[in-house]
Amino acid sequence: MKKIIYILLVPVFVVITSCEKDFLDKAPIVGITEGNFYRTQEDAIAAVNAAYASMQFQISPAGHFRWFWGDIMSDDSEKGGSGDNDVNELLQLETFKGPANTDLLEAEWGSDYEGIYRANVVLEKVPAIEMDEKLKARILGEAKFIRAWNYYQLVTMFGGVPLADHVLAPSEYNMPRATADQVWDLIESDLTSASLVLWKRSEYPAADLGRITKGAAQSLLVKAYLWREKWAEAKTAAEEVINSGEYQLVADYADIFPLYGENNEESIFEIQYMNASGGNWGKNNANEGSFTNVFTRARGQFAGYGFNIPTQDFVNEFFKEGFEDPRLKSTVFRLGDEMGDRGTFTIDATGGVPFIYYAKKYFDNKSETAPFGDPNPNGGTNDRVIRYADVLLMHAEAAYHLGDEESARTSINQVRTRVQIPLVTATGNDLLEAIYHERRVELGLEAHRFFDLVRTHKAAEVLGPLGYMEGIHNLFPIPQSQIQATNGAIMQNDGYK
Amino acid sequence: MRLGFLFILFVFCNIAKGQHQVEGTITILPHNEPAIGAAVIVKATGDGVITDINGHYTITVPDDHSVLVVHYIGYEEQEIEVGADTMIDVMLKEDISLLNEVVVTGYGAEKRSNISGAVSTVHADEIKEQPYLRVEQALQGRTPGVNIAQNSGSPGSASTVRIRGTGTINNSNPLYIVDGIPVEGLDYLNPNDIETINILKDASSAAIYGARGANGVILITTIGGRRNQKGSVSYDGYYGTQRAARLLDLLDAREYAIIQNEAYVAAGKTPPPEFANPDALGKGTDWQEAIFTDAPITNHQLSISGGKEHSNYTLTGNYFNQDGIVGGDKANFERITARLNGSNDVNKWLTIGNAIGYTWFSRNALIENTQYDSPIIRALNIDPTTPIRKADGTYAYSLYTDTDIANPVNGIEQTYNNWTSNRLVGNVYGDIKFSKLFSFRTTFSLDQTFSLQRIFYPEFDLSNIPEISEAPPAEKRTVNSVAVGNYNWRNLQWENVLTYQNTFQEKHYLSLIAGTTALTNRFDASGGGNTNLPSNDWEDAYIGNTIDPIASQSAWQTANESSLLSWFGRGIYAYDNRYSFTATFRADGSSRFGKNNRYGYFPSFSAGWTISNEDFWHIDAISAAKLRASWGKNGNDRIGDYSFTTVVSSGQNYTFGPGEIITNGSVALSAANPDLKWETISQTDIGLDLELYDGKIELITDYYIKQTSDMLYASPIPLVAGTAAPVQNVATAENRGWEFALNYRNRDHALQYSFGGNISFINSEVTGLGRGGEPVYSGYVQSASAYAAKTDIGHPLASFFGYVTDGIFQTQEEVESAPFQSSGTAPGDIRFKDLNGDGEIDVNDQTYIGDPTPDFSYGFTGELGWKGFEVNIFFQGTSGNEIYNNTIRYDFNYGNRPSSVLDRWTGTGTSNSEPRVNLSDANQNARISDRFVEDGSYLRLKTLQIGYNLPEAWLNKMHMDKFKVYVTGQNLLTFTKYEGYDPEIGNISNNSLELGIDRGFYPQARTIVGGISLTF
Repeated sequence: MKKIIYILLVPVFVVITSCEKDFLDKAPIVGITEGNFYRTQEDAIAAVNAAYASMQFQISPAGHFRWFWGDIMSDDSEKGGSGDNDVNELLQLETFKGPANTDLLEAEWGSDYEGIYRANVVLEKVPAIEMDEKLKARILGEAKFIRAWNYYQLVTMFGGVPLADHVLAPSEYNMPRATADQVWDLIESDLTSASLVLWKRSEYPAADLGRITKGAAQSLLVKAYLWREKWAEAKTAAEEVINSGEYQLVADYADIFPLYGENNEESIFEIQYMNASGGNWGKNNANEGSFTNVFTRARGQFAGYGFNIPTQDFVNEFFKEGFEDPRLKSTVFRLGDEMGDRGTFTIDATGGVPFIYYAKKYFDNKSETAPFGDPNPNGGTNDRVIRYADVLLMHAEAAYHLGDEESARTSINQVRTRVQIPLVTATGNDLLEAIYHERRVELGLEAHRFFDLVRTHKAAEVLGPLGYMEGIHNLFPIPQSQIQATNGAIMQNDGYK
Repeated sequence: MRLGFLFILFVFCNIAKGQHQVEGTITILPHNEPAIGAAVIVKATGDGVITDINGHYTITVPDDHSVLVVHYIGYEEQEIEVGADTMIDVMLKEDISLLNEVVVTGYGAEKRSNISGAVSTVHADEIKEQPYLRVEQALQGRTPGVNIAQNSGSPGSASTVRIRGTGTINNSNPLYIVDGIPVEGLDYLNPNDIETINILKDASSAAIYGARGANGVILITTIGGRRNQKGSVSYDGYYGTQRAARLLDLLDAREYAIIQNEAYVAAGKTPPPEFANPDALGKGTDWQEAIFTDAPITNHQLSISGGKEHSNYTLTGNYFNQDGIVGGDKANFERITARLNGSNDVNKWLTIGNAIGYTWFSRNALIENTQYDSPIIRALNIDPTTPIRKADGTYAYSLYTDTDIANPVNGIEQTYNNWTSNRLVGNVYGDIKFSKLFSFRTTFSLDQTFSLQRIFYPEFDLSNIPEISEAPPAEKRTVNSVAVGNYNWRNLQWENVLTYQNTFQEKHYLSLIAGTTALTNRFDASGGGNTNLPSNDWEDAYIGNTIDPIASQSAWQTANESSLLSWFGRGIYAYDNRYSFTATFRADGSSRFGKNNRYGYFPSFSAGWTISNEDFWHIDAISAAKLRASWGKNGNDRIGDYSFTTVVSSGQNYTFGPGEIITNGSVALSAANPDLKWETISQTDIGLDLELYDGKIELITDYYIKQTSDMLYASPIPLVAGTAAPVQNVATAENRGWEFALNYRNRDHALQYSFGGNISFINSEVTGLGRGGEPVYSGYVQSASAYAAKTDIGHPLASFFGYVTDGIFQTQEEVESAPFQSSGTAPGDIRFKDLNGDGEIDVNDQTYIGDPTPDFSYGFTGELGWKGFEVNIFFQGTSGNEIYNNTIRYDFNYGNRPSSVLDRWTGTGTSNSEPRVNLSDANQNARISDRFVEDGSYLRLKTLQIGYNLPEAWLNKMHMDKFKVYVTGQNLLTFTKYEGYDPEIGNISNNSLELGIDRGFYPQARTIVGGISLTF
């Protein structure tokens, strides 16, 4: 009997040793390993889509909207909200007293670098895939644009930043900051090579509406050239966009911003959002909605948080020429206005908050809210980053600096003709001031103003009374946590140390 | 026929020559209860009988010179010369010899004299009749070297258990083995079902568990009944209430208005008109009173157990229910358990057995231990001028705080978060005896959990004017929704162990085991949610009742798995009860590591010398003395299941096209580490076990050095990387400590007493942080927008790191002559020390300001018994640990403050510790500094129990074995300097680096219960 038992034991050990190999090999059930991905055309498209997704990040984990930096920091608008302690960090930055360790700046830094990483993954993994070459080139061009776009945001806000031009290995994490020029060089080279391979807007099938176009790369390149005051290159690049025939101004200014005006003939680069349910306060929103709508709507019955409040100074700009610029009524809500289908704007209706102006361009109607019901509904309004009117005005500015005032006037007058106001005939410095004025009223509350002021060296003059100090506040402080995280390899900007 | 008759005559003649029958009764001291199932053996022949249920035996002895040996487990063996007697009664004394204690060692049991590792034992009677929900609570303070801190006082919450310090910044929890099955999460286990707990503390005793033993092993054996034990039925039940032990001192409405007025003026603003007359505001709302409540706790246990010669069984059932002192039934924990354990001798060579437990529990949970929106943080920070309710009875909202700090009473009422779990943990085994020496056991174990979580977000609106709904977003919800999740875990284990035990020539004892383990885990989860239910009731909160279209529903599903395959072996050799040696070896292969590092090998050795058994030992006072030493390596494999590979996740979506079609994007969200290795802990231990005065005094002491290498951690990486951090073998650490346990026991008089105490000293330090040596930051404090803790070389894990305060600036001259802090610094602000002397206060002036790990911890138990009365007392405490008090949200300028702010600076010389009040904090007085570091040392009267046992005479009349009534008080007194609710603050979510930070810690309650315990 004992022998039988001994014999039975043998299979036990045999079974155990033979199953061993399979038993210990566990591949992830949910998700594919990187080694098994990046093999087909679908993989390439999915990879670049993930890079697009990073452009939608608005809350990661703190809010860091483009209009925080572009509008609130300037003389166009003030923070708003329920009071001083509502996003208090923004108040400190707005009054130029900001501490270095704000969640908002960290969120901006983090999401920009996540976008850069995702673009770098595409640039590293897609070239090896066997697929249609024209499509592959386009996908690489899209990735380069997204990388350039994120570096553009970083360099205009922080100056020189660590230059990650490939997927970083852990030994490279403590990269020191590159100079601003080095970052601009990368942006320019990315956009230049991207614009060669990207498809024109008209070349894309309808289902790809929203993808980066040749015109978008060229337009962002114009912006980059203007920052570096490379007027000739800027003028040339702008003319390529103008002469491409792909874009034209929308007939009625009021038709640009509502939901139905998304991706119109004037739109060059828009970050897509859609109405979706679920108020996810996280960056990987599966619902692709935008929080700008709810943040910039008035409080009280308009169910918003009441941020980005237009200033009196901004509204006054629309009266500078002696008449009310017709674009004001599409930019700002004034007392007594109908706020879409949400009701009439009165102080009481906004819950007793004392502001008399509200931003209009990102307002959405109740009927346009996702019908799914949500305490913090996402809105579907796309973020209009670059419009054709912007390119025309940039062209005017570049032409002016090259001495070609005729071309400058032609471009600026195209913008003015659209809204049927008298043409500009100024020359010399008056022409430049006219261009600056036109930018302020045409592109008002579209997150341009602060950066325009810094770029054109007018910030000290205009924002000085608000606390701006040249040499310090033209850049934002590097998030303190990142200086800590790199053990000091990154140095803080002057004035914030 | 005739031959048979002659034979019988022959036998009878022989009997007449001295062979005779002996009978008698065996009883046990001190109460002379019958010893049932004791063995009475004729020494010469080895023949024997077993006493019956009355302790009675009858045996035939061959002659007058025979010697009878009486043997009964747990009692001292006795030998009696028979002589011509026919009636011999024997009274047995309890065997309290330390060295004869049976210790469970992992895959077997040995006498303590034969093992040379450091093993502590806790018996059931030390922990029964106490109102403990979870086993870890019962273990606290009972043995040296085991440090336990509650993670929260809410019913059902886990504790942080550390055996000999925190070995790793990864998961430092010990391995729990219940009846041979590794389990996570002890909330299912009814403490009344436990028979013994053995804690394997050093490398040699834990080595048999190889890759998982690095943090120590806690072996729990559930009650199984005993062979030849009279069947008994017992009932134990208690009922009582819990209450908060202390409430904090906050400002009332009048004081709040005074402070706010001052703060407004200091910031250059006009104070609001409603605060113009502080006296008129009176006391306002006491928010703490509003959220704390008395909460009941009750437990009922029924146990039936017994055994015959060839089998034993235990059947238990239990019901437990506890409400929380914050939230009442919104923090309720309810549990029902059932257990069936037993073993059966099928025949001479096969024994089968089982230990199977089934648990159902339901836990309602509030948000806790977060500085953002937990009810406690809200109650501490919301202003006292806001009433709880408006005039019409609906809840009110504060005009001064919102987002995180909303109305906490409403917050509790709107919380519906229930976790219901069904769990089956059990094993069946077959034990085959090849011979007296060789046996083989095969065990199948299963740990299967099915749980369902249901969360309901009701509609509510605290607005004063519902039509325009002016309340801030945190104080209303316009659409309700429900979310559910199913979470299932399944562990399957098959273990085979071959055992050989033999004593050669009386002096040589050899015990060998060899075995294998195959273990597989699987986790499956799925869930979904939808919005808009017509009914706003929790009872109707099911996705099927929602009316929003399918497009708004969400659904998710995930799964992961892992497996472990191991070989192990152990040999114990003991010579003449004087010398013992143990060698252990284990090879573990895990699926969690890449192919290059798949197997880890873990050896250990130990030796022991029982000096008291040497011939030269003449110290009578010391009845037993044993010196032991051990060394070994264990591993830790508690990391994610797939960290060795990069996983590309889909769902990173964007929308394209005029129809706004959501299009899939895929990318790897975190970096992988293909070189992933085991964490290894090497430990050296030296110990001494002493027994004095025949067991009256017992002393066990150990000194150990524990070194961790290749510590795994996903240390935060710069955001430049663009991904979440990979897990790397980044660090090394060292823990050194000394443990000491002393027990005194006196059962000889009518007044019986025993005392025990233990103390452990520990020194822990991080000794290396991998490649670049970058320190790791943890413990984010919202008020300061910075991290409070830093883990770096040469310092304990998660030490607090920040600025050092140096009094208050009294005059403007002082501000100007001091190192630069900020352009807004003014008299009344805190002065910080310029540690590097560069004239500026910046990040370089930060240093280590506190350590959350205690220098030593201790426990003290006392038992007194006299004529049926029993008093049990248990103290527990720690010393040298510090706490970072993060309960006040300074980023809310209009929130409430503690009363200490009344001592604020208001002019030169008015205060040198409490800064001025100001709406804006330009000087960053709220930054991470020693201002918020407090001494968390405490001594707590953990348990006091007074009970009375009915005398035997009454019991006999009622045919009962035991009738006890008792009153138990828990957490009755706490002596501490800490100003928060509770100085015992554990970890948050198994993160070893989130230690000792009070984020509104849900305090442990002061509990008083009364109960009865009956046995039939």
